[in-house]
Amino acid sequence: MLEIKNLHVRIEEDGTEIIRGLNLSVAAGEVAAIMGPNGSGKSTLSYVLSGKEDYEVTEGSITYNGENLLDMDVSERAAAGVFLAFQYPVEIPGVPTMTFLKEAMNAQRKQRGEDVLSTPDFIKRVRAAAGDLKIDFNMLKRPVNVGFSGGEKKRAEILQMALLEPKLCILDETDSGLDIDALKIVSQGVNHLRDPNRAVIVITHYQRLLDHIVPDTVHVLSKGQIVKSGDKSLAIELEEKGYADIIEAAA
Amino acid sequence: MTAHTPRILTDGETSLFEAFESSGLTGDDRNAAIAALKETGFPTRRVEAYHYTDLRALLKGGYSVAEKPSEELAKTVGAKFPRLVKDACVLHFRDGHYFDWGEELPSGVSVDAELPVAKAVENNAANATANINMAFANAGVTVDIADGANVDRTVGLAYAHTGTDKSIAATRFAVNAGAGSTSNIAYRAVGLDGVDYLSSSVVDLDLAEGSTVTYLLSIEEGDAAHRLAQLNVKLGKGSTLNLFILNVGGKLVRQEINFDVEGEDVNLNISGVNLIGGEAHIDVTSRITHHAPNTNSTEIFRNVATGRGRGVFQGQINVRQPAQLTDARMACNTLLLSDDCDFSAKPELEIFADDVQCAHGATVTDLESSYMFYLMARGISETRARRMLIKAFVAEIVEELEDEDLVEALEARIDVWMERHV
Repeated sequence: MLEIKNLHVRIEEDGTEIIRGLNLSVAAGEVAAIMGPNGSGKSTLSYVLSGKEDYEVTEGSITYNGENLLDMDVSERAAAGVFLAFQYPVEIPGVPTMTFLKEAMNAQRKQRGEDVLSTPDFIKRVRAAAGDLKIDFNMLKRPVNVGFSGGEKKRAEILQMALLEPKLCILDETDSGLDIDALKIVSQGVNHLRDPNRAVIVITHYQRLLDHIVPDTVHVLSKGQIVKSGDKSLAIELEEKGYADIIEAAA
Repeated sequence: MTAHTPRILTDGETSLFEAFESSGLTGDDRNAAIAALKETGFPTRRVEAYHYTDLRALLKGGYSVAEKPSEELAKTVGAKFPRLVKDACVLHFRDGHYFDWGEELPSGVSVDAELPVAKAVENNAANATANINMAFANAGVTVDIADGANVDRTVGLAYAHTGTDKSIAATRFAVNAGAGSTSNIAYRAVGLDGVDYLSSSVVDLDLAEGSTVTYLLSIEEGDAAHRLAQLNVKLGKGSTLNLFILNVGGKLVRQEINFDVEGEDVNLNISGVNLIGGEAHIDVTSRITHHAPNTNSTEIFRNVATGRGRGVFQGQINVRQPAQLTDARMACNTLLLSDDCDFSAKPELEIFADDVQCAHGATVTDLESSYMFYLMARGISETRARRMLIKAFVAEIVEELEDEDLVEALEARIDVWMERHV
């Protein structure tokens, strides 16, 4: 589904190279964990995949379902099924959450040539998905993420993911700022979306999240490169030995 | 010693004087207004009140006074603009002429279809808007709201231009809110796009003791129209005015809003949205004078400029010496969305009382890029995302109006503007 080859990325503003020759492939149905120390380029990778402007790809390619992902703008990627669950979801004053959800769902449906949702159908879907994630429906009457707690924001991200039914989900440190109960709810939400036609990239510092969302593959990112890949046992090894040993051994 | 250099008349000035000559309009007031205009000319940028709006450059020539259109045309053009307030009692004006279509007045409201007497103004260039109106207004009404009346339907003053190019249409209204009365007034100016007409409007609004007025001023002139207008308000003791202004049209709009807070315990709440796109030049110039103790005024404008639009907000607050315990607050927030648009915001505070609170603030920004990224990362196109954020920016102000149908109608007008300009 996703094929990243020799990717080099730098920050547009100051030219700092963050991703330095990264290779990664993720197949449909696969849950891939990307782990790595602070500053290794994990969040940059998630932004580059979703198309944030502030980064410049200087070399390499990203192929998504046979198409050149780098040719698409942010909203086109989203409509094509790429979904980023933000590490820090943005608060947008003045835009009601329900308006935002409806606009997003219908924008994607239109791009795919499907009919727009009727209001009752839309509300039914939101109610059901919110119920699964234990989100109070009244909360969705507020502006996007405004006044949500850290945990509520992360659950709202998973709610959007459930409603938009993406093909490639990228979870950027979704576990940060979550208590144990919220972590379980969020993980259940993600596991619920596991599907042979869907790939999930889980970006995290800690193995803890991977107890709940069990990955098929684990990749260690260091200084902008994948330095080691393995199965879920690699995550356990990392937790025991720390990043330094693994990265040194791989170098 | 003063040296007089002979002033060269602009085409715009010449055109107004010739239009007046050939109009057959007569009367001492009118002649005096024309004489004043001839003496001072249109204001230059050196006249502080017109610093950002150069009438000598912006108002071109070729005008003549509009004839009264046929009833049929008057109705056809009006029908193109669906009502903002559904059950309003509407008084209709077309091209500066009154059409009495036998509208049933709500109880407590009486209407006199005579042109109200113009308020005298000092003879200086800063009064061009008032003088042009005094010279050309030939139709208007006085709306009286009885003491103690609680008027249950909105009174609409609807002005439309039917489309004769290069024509001048001027009206003057007076609205007198009786003591202890409560009423809703909606003034709306509309016109067809592509027609260069000059619309001149003066409204004198008097709030007697303890009255409450909610006043909507919706300016939706055609995209080639020139509008020079004044709203002059006197607020008596214990009165409350809630004024909402929407600007979504016009090539040149100069809207002056003047408030004299004459009584104690007055609440004056002004809010507005100015949408400035294409080639539009929109100028809202506000002067609030607190004459009496213990009064509040708040003023907030949200502006969106794009294309080659130019916006102006001048906000003057005068606190006279007796007006102790005045609380006056003014804010002007602007979104600049293109490289070629601009907005000028100028606060002016003149305070002679020592125990007062006056605050003013202005912000200018582009749309927040992190918001844009978040919305687009959910599949919303760049254009739709921009519109959502602009709507959010102005909706905060519009939604303070309590009438849900009215909010919906105004937001629909904003949507139409965005579809064209964003």
